[in-house]
Amino acid sequence: MLESLQRRFYLNFIKDDRWKYIWDGLGTTLKVTLFAVILGIVLGFLVAVVRSTYEKTGKLRILNFLCKIYLTVIRGTPVVVQLLIIYFVIFGSVKIDKVMVAVLAFGLNSGAYVAEIFRSGIMSIDNGQFEAGRSLGFNYAQTMFHIIMPQAFKNVLPALGNEFIVLLKETSVSGYIAMQDLTKGGDIIRSQTYDAFMPLLSVAAVYLVMVMIFTKLVSILERRLRNSDH
Amino acid sequence: MTIDGQTLIKVENIYKVFGEFHALAGISEEIHKGEVVVIVGPSGSGKSTFLRSLNLLEIPTRGKILFDGVDITDKKIDINKHRQKMGMVFQHFNLFPHKTILDNITLAPIKLLKKSKAEAEKEAMALLKRVGLEEKANSYPSQLSGGQKQRIAIVRSLAMQPEVMLFDEPTSALDPEMVGEVLELMKNLAREGMTMVVVTHEMGFAKEVATRVMFMDAGQIKEQGTPEEFFGNPKDERLKEFLSKII
Repeated sequence: MLESLQRRFYLNFIKDDRWKYIWDGLGTTLKVTLFAVILGIVLGFLVAVVRSTYEKTGKLRILNFLCKIYLTVIRGTPVVVQLLIIYFVIFGSVKIDKVMVAVLAFGLNSGAYVAEIFRSGIMSIDNGQFEAGRSLGFNYAQTMFHIIMPQAFKNVLPALGNEFIVLLKETSVSGYIAMQDLTKGGDIIRSQTYDAFMPLLSVAAVYLVMVMIFTKLVSILERRLRNSDH
Repeated sequence: MTIDGQTLIKVENIYKVFGEFHALAGISEEIHKGEVVVIVGPSGSGKSTFLRSLNLLEIPTRGKILFDGVDITDKKIDINKHRQKMGMVFQHFNLFPHKTILDNITLAPIKLLKKSKAEAEKEAMALLKRVGLEEKANSYPSQLSGGQKQRIAIVRSLAMQPEVMLFDEPTSALDPEMVGEVLELMKNLAREGMTMVVVTHEMGFAKEVATRVMFMDAGQIKEQGTPEEFFGNPKDERLKEFLSKII
């Protein structure tokens, strides 16, 4: 039994340096996740500002309308389909790095969810905070930046952390455009060794460990922010 | 109490309409420098709406408001500049929960008046000392009692060195034993000559420090006068009824 496990471990990971599929795949997964998160947060933040400005003041009507279309389309279609469309339709005739495509697809997708998270955070802050800022003489943007956003960010941090976890795991569908991420790496090993158990469970374990580490980091950050105002 | 007569705020026939409802139904009024104007009236009478329209937190549907001779209802002027000169104190304090007391007070002077941090903090500490709360400088609002929060909110407004202070039911959200400390601070301000417009249910405060008391009902000012006339010899029927209920 033990011997057979050793043999399978050798076959799946050591022979022909197959561990590199997992290692390189992990690198790609992290790269895509990181840049997609950045893109998603920037995009989501901008959309949330437009949407909540419209809700509070009635300004930015046209931008708000465009944002609503973006949210409806992105949230109304599966991320795999969006990934395929961006790769095969939008960049179908152009040679483009698959990692770039994945960052774009997952970032655009995540932005829609992050936008709604930020917006709910902004709208959850009591209007009295807004009025206090304005009555002191701050303009709309200053009030948002100094008074509303810091409080909103703290309120949405758990939801934002959750969105990051979802995004990390969602990138596992990148295999659809033949990008070698962590999941695809494990799957390639499986196709070479005809052993499904070891490579796929290893892949699962790597995702699990990453999510656990990240969850811990978010809870530390949350506690820090909570300490700052009891 | 002396009034030098100079007009600080001039309200010209303002209306505020929500759908069919007239929250303000044609008000013209002047607030002079050094005056302490107390506005009373039943709930829904428009007194808060009137107060909040003075610094345009509530934008009148029509009519004009002149502050220091400038029409602040004119869309072309920078309302933020004028709001810096009008302090406002809210029923629910609205301190910034993510900032310390000191940061609450210095935020606007640093960002808007471009004061140095050191200078703003020095002034803030002097104000805190005046209200006896200097040891709370590094606390957060959630660590303070209601009365302390409201005194800090007043200090936060004072740090901008306003020409007028607007109070929107400043003691209505307080436990009874904390009302006194806030009113005491307001009385001190009044004695020092601060121009104040106060919406309140505290008739004792009105009698003691107001230079003028106004009664609002149905979006209009029905009667006004010195506290002696107002409480001693009310004429309006609604005012008589109102006073008989609350005193």
